[in-house]
Amino acid sequence: MRGGAEDGRHGRQPAGRVVPVYAVTGGRTRSAGADLPVEALVTVTDAGRWAENLHLEYRTILQLAAAPVSIVELGAVLQVPVGVARVLVGDLADAGYVAVHRPQVTADGTPGPEILERLLEGLRARSV
Amino acid sequence: MRDRSELYPLKILVAGGFGVGKTTLVRALSEIEPLLTEQQMTETSVGVDDTRAVPDKRTTTVAMDFGRITVDDSLILYLFGTPGQSRFWFMWDELSRGSVGALVLVDLRRVDECFPAIDYFENRRIPYVIGVNTFPGANDHDEEAVRDALALSPETPVQWIDAREASSGIALLVRLVEHALSRTAPVPT
Repeated sequence: MRGGAEDGRHGRQPAGRVVPVYAVTGGRTRSAGADLPVEALVTVTDAGRWAENLHLEYRTILQLAAAPVSIVELGAVLQVPVGVARVLVGDLADAGYVAVHRPQVTADGTPGPEILERLLEGLRARSV
Repeated sequence: MRDRSELYPLKILVAGGFGVGKTTLVRALSEIEPLLTEQQMTETSVGVDDTRAVPDKRTTTVAMDFGRITVDDSLILYLFGTPGQSRFWFMWDELSRGSVGALVLVDLRRVDECFPAIDYFENRRIPYVIGVNTFPGANDHDEEAVRDALALSPETPVQWIDAREASSGIALLVRLVEHALSRTAPVPT
């Protein structure tokens, strides 16, 4: 996660930014995406593939989300604080342009045994 | 069009003192280009994280390292290197929520630096394993001595690692997931 203190907004705009990202978000810090965990995965929908007339940041997200990509990765690529990435993803989700895949946790807030078993299997397959 | 409805993100924290090898481990394991997160560090500090004492690492940033491992078609694991300083613990709270658990890296020359991390995970009952990073000149310790020094409970796994080696990092992740699973298993009555 970048800029946890959210103070990284000066001097980090990537070259080619058309408008400041805070103009895109309208200064909002809360939206449908506000409670998304940083590892939530984003994928583009069919509607998102054909979306037009979007700001650069939105278009970039839709392109990156052709394959599953997390909020924290989007923030890093866009060079914006993760809170801003959440807002942008929330906007796109509201518009139906992306699907958001949240972590699956059990009642005690931790990943369930089935998911952990699959994780274990996948990691072991890499360790040979 | 492949159905993407089943996609599960997972996360594991990588904690420990400053310069203990967190960045190195995350980078060794990540399939994505590590995203620049320590921009404020001096040039000379970058890249010597493993092998030197750290007197020149005075500046750091709030930003943290993260890495990604695509485990299978639908599971994607993120690793987050957590800032060691206690003033950043507000970030740990968000990151540890819903996590599989944590790797706590230890440099045996400076064991006390991992105590805050151990306390943090113990107090929140978050599964963690100890990875003793093998720095030159710091390898001649046995496990019992380490357990004593860290005041670990008997069930906490301890493993020697080389943070630069992906296979070593994977082995530590496996140990953590096994440990987390053992704690989800219903207790026989």
